[in-house]
Amino acid sequence: MLQGALAGLAAGGLYAVLAVCLTLMSRLVRVVNFSQSATGMFGCYVAVWLSIHIGLPTWAAAVVGIVLGSALSALLGWIISTWLAEADIGTRSAVTVAVLLLLISLSFILFGNKPQPFHPLLPGPAFSVNGVVVSQVTVVTVVLSVLIALGCRALLTKTSFGLELRALSERPTTAELMGIPAKPLAVAVWAATGLLSTLVITIVAPSQSNDATSLSMLVVPASAAALLGGFRRLDLAVVGGLVLGMAQGAVAQVDSLSVVRYFLPFLVIVGLLLWSQRKEVWDVAR
Amino acid sequence: MSRAETGPLIRFGGPLVVAVAAIAVGYSLSVGLDGYFVYLGMSAIVAGIALLGLGVVTGSAGMISLCQLTFAAVGAWVVSGLNKAGAPGGFVVWLICGGIAAGLVGILVGLPALRLRGINLAVVTLGLAAAADLTLVQIQFPGTVDGISVERPDAFSDDRNYFWLGTIVLTVCCLLVHFLRRTRWGSGWQAVAFSERGTAAAGASVRTSKLTAFAVSAALGGVAGGLLTGQVGLAFPASFSSMQSLALYVLAVMSGVHMIDMAVFGAVLWVAVPELLKRWGVPQDWGFVIFGLLGTHALTTGGNLGTAVREIWRRRSKGAAGVELAAPPADLEVLPPGAPVLTVSGLSVSFGEVKALSNVDIAVPSNGVLGVIGPNGAGKSTLVDIISGFLPQATGVVELDGQSLNGKSPTKRARAGLRRTFQQDRVPAGLTVGSYVRFVARRRLGADEIAEALEFFGCPPARTPLRRVDVGARRLVEVVGHLLAKPKVLLLDEPAAGLPHEEHVALGLRLRQVPARFGVSVLLIEHDLDLVRSVCDTITVLDFGQVLASGPQAEVLANPEVLKAYMGETELL
Amino acid sequence: MRKIMRCVAVAAAVTLVAAGCANGSDSSSGGGSGPIVVGSVNALSGAATFPEASAAAKAVFDAANASGGVNGRQIQYKALDDKGDPAAAAAAAREVVGADNAVALVGSSSLIECEINSKYYEQQKILSIQGVGVDPSCFNSPNISPANVGPFHDMTLTLLYGSEVLKLDKICALLEIAGNTLPSYQAAIDEWSKITGKKLAYMDATVPYGGSDYTSYIVKARSAGCKAITVNPVEPDSIGQLKAATAQGWNDVTWLLLTSVYSENYAKAISNAGAGVYVPAEFYPFTDAASAQTKEWRDLMTKNNIPLTSFSQGGYLAAKYFLQVIKGIKGDINRESVTKALHDMQPISDPMVGTSYTFGTGQTHHDNTAGWPIKLMSGTNKWELAATDWLRIPKN
Repeated sequence: MLQGALAGLAAGGLYAVLAVCLTLMSRLVRVVNFSQSATGMFGCYVAVWLSIHIGLPTWAAAVVGIVLGSALSALLGWIISTWLAEADIGTRSAVTVAVLLLLISLSFILFGNKPQPFHPLLPGPAFSVNGVVVSQVTVVTVVLSVLIALGCRALLTKTSFGLELRALSERPTTAELMGIPAKPLAVAVWAATGLLSTLVITIVAPSQSNDATSLSMLVVPASAAALLGGFRRLDLAVVGGLVLGMAQGAVAQVDSLSVVRYFLPFLVIVGLLLWSQRKEVWDVAR
Repeated sequence: MSRAETGPLIRFGGPLVVAVAAIAVGYSLSVGLDGYFVYLGMSAIVAGIALLGLGVVTGSAGMISLCQLTFAAVGAWVVSGLNKAGAPGGFVVWLICGGIAAGLVGILVGLPALRLRGINLAVVTLGLAAAADLTLVQIQFPGTVDGISVERPDAFSDDRNYFWLGTIVLTVCCLLVHFLRRTRWGSGWQAVAFSERGTAAAGASVRTSKLTAFAVSAALGGVAGGLLTGQVGLAFPASFSSMQSLALYVLAVMSGVHMIDMAVFGAVLWVAVPELLKRWGVPQDWGFVIFGLLGTHALTTGGNLGTAVREIWRRRSKGAAGVELAAPPADLEVLPPGAPVLTVSGLSVSFGEVKALSNVDIAVPSNGVLGVIGPNGAGKSTLVDIISGFLPQATGVVELDGQSLNGKSPTKRARAGLRRTFQQDRVPAGLTVGSYVRFVARRRLGADEIAEALEFFGCPPARTPLRRVDVGARRLVEVVGHLLAKPKVLLLDEPAAGLPHEEHVALGLRLRQVPARFGVSVLLIEHDLDLVRSVCDTITVLDFGQVLASGPQAEVLANPEVLKAYMGETELL
Repeated sequence: MRKIMRCVAVAAAVTLVAAGCANGSDSSSGGGSGPIVVGSVNALSGAATFPEASAAAKAVFDAANASGGVNGRQIQYKALDDKGDPAAAAAAAREVVGADNAVALVGSSSLIECEINSKYYEQQKILSIQGVGVDPSCFNSPNISPANVGPFHDMTLTLLYGSEVLKLDKICALLEIAGNTLPSYQAAIDEWSKITGKKLAYMDATVPYGGSDYTSYIVKARSAGCKAITVNPVEPDSIGQLKAATAQGWNDVTWLLLTSVYSENYAKAISNAGAGVYVPAEFYPFTDAASAQTKEWRDLMTKNNIPLTSFSQGGYLAAKYFLQVIKGIKGDINRESVTKALHDMQPISDPMVGTSYTFGTGQTHHDNTAGWPIKLMSGTNKWELAATDWLRIPKN
């Protein structure tokens, strides 16, 4: 069990970073971004394409890919904050569903569906605990998820930029009146989360199977993790991601539970919703 | 839709005639088409039924459901399972069982998600779709190991006849959705899509409305899955992948499938786009890219193919319908106010540090109209929210006719005879005036009764679609609906907002007659003192969340404290 | 109500359009002097695609057409897409068999096509020489006979190679089960046990197909003491599994895989192959560039810019077999005569396969039992021959 749990930690770190991105998006720009990991996947595929067909060195290709993932996310953010500035979170999120579909199909067209020959950025094991090896990727993703969460928290609470962002999300009208530039800030948030998710997917993709669909569908366990924090709290999102990854790894050790493993994110989502919504709440908007 | 208030013959006969015609067209297609197109047509029919379901949940009820094909998989499972077991009844019975099973699964999945609003249903359904995707690949549909193909009914065993069976099933599903839309469920779907608070205030359960929408949608998905199994012979996980579910959702959004004809149109797109791509030699993957782009476009512009086509269809768009209050109402003796029917005592609520209301006492007399006035931010709307149950964290006692309402949900309070209207427009534009009034009233109403009440308030006639009614008139339609519910007390939150000022007094004259005419006591929140003067026997003044004065109209308005509170708000005096 | 009227209008419009299309596509049917229509149903789009088999078959037919066709008639080859979608696969079969009146299906390669269409082919009395058959129905239907060995015999072969040639013990199986393939793989493993008297050390049939992270399965297999692992993976999954093993520092494991991973792409993607990846190639290894066995195929593929893969070998062979058979037909070439010719054909041998091919009238077609062992070692990024002759499943 412990072995399995540690083995699932790399996936957990990935979920955690994506969950942090989802939480930031939901808090700051009112969107549950279903295309979060798909943008990362796309940037990452571009990186691989560049390194193979143009012959760019791995790191340079990775940088270009990450920038592209970020730009893609920013473009989507720009579209949404231009045309759907006043729309509710449902409509804004529905756009990202369409984009998810679009990105997966587009990657089939552009990059085919054969496996991409990724060059691992971080090969091999880092250390072992009780005979279970913890890989370098695991260490990096877990550390990265915690760092990103802490960094975002500090940014939001300690800096004037963060203050403006929070003002924008909590009192949009007042913030606009105070002259805070709503759209550029929103696009910046999109760009930043796009950057983070492409970065982490670029790190993890070489060390696991990496077809377009499975990378894009990482958004499901990630949103389960984000839900632990109610799409509000970054720390709980990180914890949720790590725990979910470990739980999946542990369950995989038991053959009879193999189907349960697939339903784990779903069950977590349902359970959390039941718990967090045990009281009826009326939101002001509708 | 627009003939909702016409006679039963047209209301039921019309769609039936169209259905018979559709089945006839289906038959001629099944005979006349090339074999390959018959098969494609079957795929379109399957997609059409699934889209019809999505239309109910995403179109009518405004939720995001991303696992329509998972429900189809449930239907397929049941059909192939019953086939393998050799269950009695044959294919059609199995198909119905599949639909019912999928509906039940829909309820199970929806139950946790539907309590809450916003995006959670999308997260839940995507999670389910992804999990089902992996699971279905690993486990097998019943009968696939042994290659037992599902037996089509004897009369429909070849492709052409099966296509015809498909058109019949599709037509029945269309009829079902068409008539369901006219029931309370259907009105509830429309209402909940537009405003959950508005739905609860009408005494309809938000959860039931969403759950029925989700269950009906899932059941239609199940039927689609069962039909697909009969089409292919065996059920395969690849038919129910989450990518396809996503694509179906996007297609639903972009073609506007809450309209039944658009569901059929969307189904045609579902097969026509890949077919055209094939003919032009374009790789099939572009199909989903096209859907993705069109879906994004539809969402960002707020339009869809359905509405666009409709606009072209009916060029002759009429102007908005408004309120006609010019003629004074017939005289009616005003009853003397009686004992209090609604008493509120010690009501307090705070939002964080801010005390929005503290220790408010109010009593609404039976047969009376109590006015609640006060400057902006005095807490008037908060008071209505508390009394009607939308702020459960408030403290204090609310009693209706001697019964405590504390701890009851807005829906329960509405059913107990305490109704309210909203300051903002919470009237779903998808209904007609008549069907909305029936939905809000929650009781059997004769057409005459509705027409009379609407006429009394100068509202447009019952068959007018609400989307063509202006905002001021919509507010009054809302009032009429709630009055026809015959509650004990109706809380009106600034009903005159949205009406031109000169009609305020005309409205006042009518509100004055409400207790006598409808047997309903009224708590009127108003900004316009002229209106309040013309209507209210007693007045309570709120200021900074506290009761400043309370009593008969003349007394209160003469109170120097009240005058002081209103200083600066000169337009009120 | 009015909306339903419009439904009818839309439906009527669709009828007209569809009827128009129907008329348009009717022209190519019928026998006589027109072209010989040959079809195939392939996975050309979606999450897993195999376009090379039908492309290779088309190249063969194009070459035949260029040199005068068959008995003076041109071959019209129609490769249709099933999108990995069952309904589309069934529709494609109906289009090419029903509407286009094909004489046979040649060079199809799809994950699902055999299972879905085998019954339909029986009804329509049409035969299919599958380029690359994958699912069990490709091997146990009377009307389908693939040109390739198939994953099940391939699994027996890879186990034989591991236990008998490499002398490995403690072989474990990680099976990715999609649909109804488990009994067939179990039969393949049982056959190996029957021949060698050996048993698997451990088997896990719960490995997800298309999963994202395989670490936990690898950890489980390692702690079970496995020295060699046989898997039936698709390429991306196998890459994920090897990478998971690398990340765990498990470098002495031998991988006994199937032809499904035999590609240049795969070799490039694998930098650490543990103690080696061994595959019994279903056709003579195409990566042996200098080989005489593959020269003819290689030249044709290179000329037509078709990727050199096992899939294009399968498609090429299917088309070759078909051509050879129909060239011997006296009289009109139509579905009936083609079916008869295939039923009566003499075995055809080709240097690219270890077993000669025949269709015949059997109820099943699972007689191709030879693979050529190849290996992929760490750091080479290249497939190399691991044997000098075919490895064959002994006949009882």
